[in-house]
Amino acid sequence: MRHVPTIASRELRSLFVSPVAYAVLTLFVLLAGFFFLSSLLQFEEYILRMQQFQYFDQMKELNLNDHVIAPFIGVMSVVLLFMIPGITMGLFASEKANHTDELLLTSPLTIWDIVLGKYLAAAAFVTLLVALLALYPGILLLYGDPEIEKTLAGLLGLWLVGLAYAGIGAFASSLTRNQIIAFAFSFVLLLVLWMLSFLADLGAAGGAIGSATGIADVLRWLSTAEHFERFVKGLVDTADLAYFGVLVASALVLTKFAVESVRWR
Amino acid sequence: MIEARGISKRYGEHVAVDDVSFEVTRGEVVGFLGPNGAGKTTTMRILTGFLPPTDGTALIDGHDMLTDPLQARRSVGYLPEMPPLYPEMDVEGYLRFVAAIKGLPRGARKQAVERTLARCGLLDVRRRVIGSLSKGYRQRVGLGQAIIHEPPVLILDEPTVGLDPVQIREIRALIASLAAPGPDGIQHTVILSTHILSEVEAICQRVILIHRGRKRLDAPLAQIVQGGQGLEAVFARETARDEATAPEAASA
Ligand SMILES: Nc1ncnc2c1ncn2[C@@H]1O[C@H](COP(=O)(O)OP(=O)(O)OP(=O)(O)O)[C@@H](O)[C@H]1O
Ligand SMILES: [Mg+2]
Repeated sequence: MRHVPTIASRELRSLFVSPVAYAVLTLFVLLAGFFFLSSLLQFEEYILRMQQFQYFDQMKELNLNDHVIAPFIGVMSVVLLFMIPGITMGLFASEKANHTDELLLTSPLTIWDIVLGKYLAAAAFVTLLVALLALYPGILLLYGDPEIEKTLAGLLGLWLVGLAYAGIGAFASSLTRNQIIAFAFSFVLLLVLWMLSFLADLGAAGGAIGSATGIADVLRWLSTAEHFERFVKGLVDTADLAYFGVLVASALVLTKFAVESVRWR
Repeated sequence: MIEARGISKRYGEHVAVDDVSFEVTRGEVVGFLGPNGAGKTTTMRILTGFLPPTDGTALIDGHDMLTDPLQARRSVGYLPEMPPLYPEMDVEGYLRFVAAIKGLPRGARKQAVERTLARCGLLDVRRRVIGSLSKGYRQRVGLGQAIIHEPPVLILDEPTVGLDPVQIREIRALIASLAAPGPDGIQHTVILSTHILSEVEAICQRVILIHRGRKRLDAPLAQIVQGGQGLEAVFARETARDEATAPEAASA
């Protein structure tokens, strides 16, 4: 595994000379600014209205965390759903297109060197995205007093969601030589994973799986949204941390098998 | 140095390589011949460990490609049919990356990169982005990644494709010098595939010819061309004989 840093740094350098990385960064920062401002303005308007009607009791319940930061982090997790497949689509697909898979797989590297190196590069990019995003709630520290712990928990949740998405995106990329297909496939996978809890609710409401509540519970447990929301509420629980750990590990193991299978086809 | 023991490769029903065995000793330069689709690339991919054989095994410098793959791969330099290049990297950065993944110690990499740039005529383009190079220069970079770690075994799949006549001569001289016992004491063993028969006559001591996945001929060049018959005539005879006798050719 001593070649992991070599693979990771090459991947990062390639990522940062590609227009995709800059397109994703720019779009992400702009969208973040837009959503942040809009939730801030909405909050302001809300306060004004409450003052007008003299709902002082309800006003005490208003706070920056629940009404600005939480919705902001929530919407950014949806933005990641689109952005991360763009970052991961080339991880393995482009190696096949460049025929460099023949170089990597005939060099004295293990498959784990390749898979972990590439994942690490994607994870570093995700970390950069989340760090940039943290600047926006950071601004609020200057003007108000949001609960720092709750904010950090939310950001941690977002980071974990991003890391999990990167693992799944890496897996999708390992299945094809076409980056567009890799993008579409990881997007679909992520969307399904995100929506599992809605499916569970729908199924329960429709009575389809209402009787077998076990299935609904399992679907809900599998859903990223379910675990992410607990972080946003400020709850950092080992069970939720473990969920993301298991998700990343499974995605990487699947990726390893997919890369290896080139040899056995 | 290189040993193929009963190598076969099937793609579904299709047999691409059929029970091929041979041995290449240190310092030999072997020309690997055969018509299109004969199974040359497939055989080379098996020798380098990119593809597993359906049957048989490959040994490089005594290391079994299946049971001791890391040691075996460390001993091979491989130029695939399509040079494996990252178009967005510059030549020097690419070679430095290859030096690292081939296992060269950190301190030896810089010198290895310089030596390779000089050997492959790449000094003028060292800072150029690979994607902007001409085909011939990309082929040279591909050759560079195969030799940068001074592997005892070189497996080159059509190494002179796309080069200009002067370059072809230089690369041939380079390959010949790699196989000669050099001052550095490293004597390379080379298998190269090609469709240019004069290339074989220029640098190879031995010829292995395969056709439809089967080995048809394995002899020293001097022996093949003795009696005045050209390599081309032998090639035509060996590949035609099969067309006439192969049952699948009759039914197709
Ligand atoms: N991935 C694959 N799947 C199915 N068949 C394949 C695959 N790769 C090669 N083949 C088949 O195996 C046979 C041998 O191919 P190979 O590329 O080894 O030939 P070659 O001798 O290198 O030919 P050329 O001189 O054209 O490079 C061909 O019939 C080819 O169609
Ligand atoms: Mg070929």
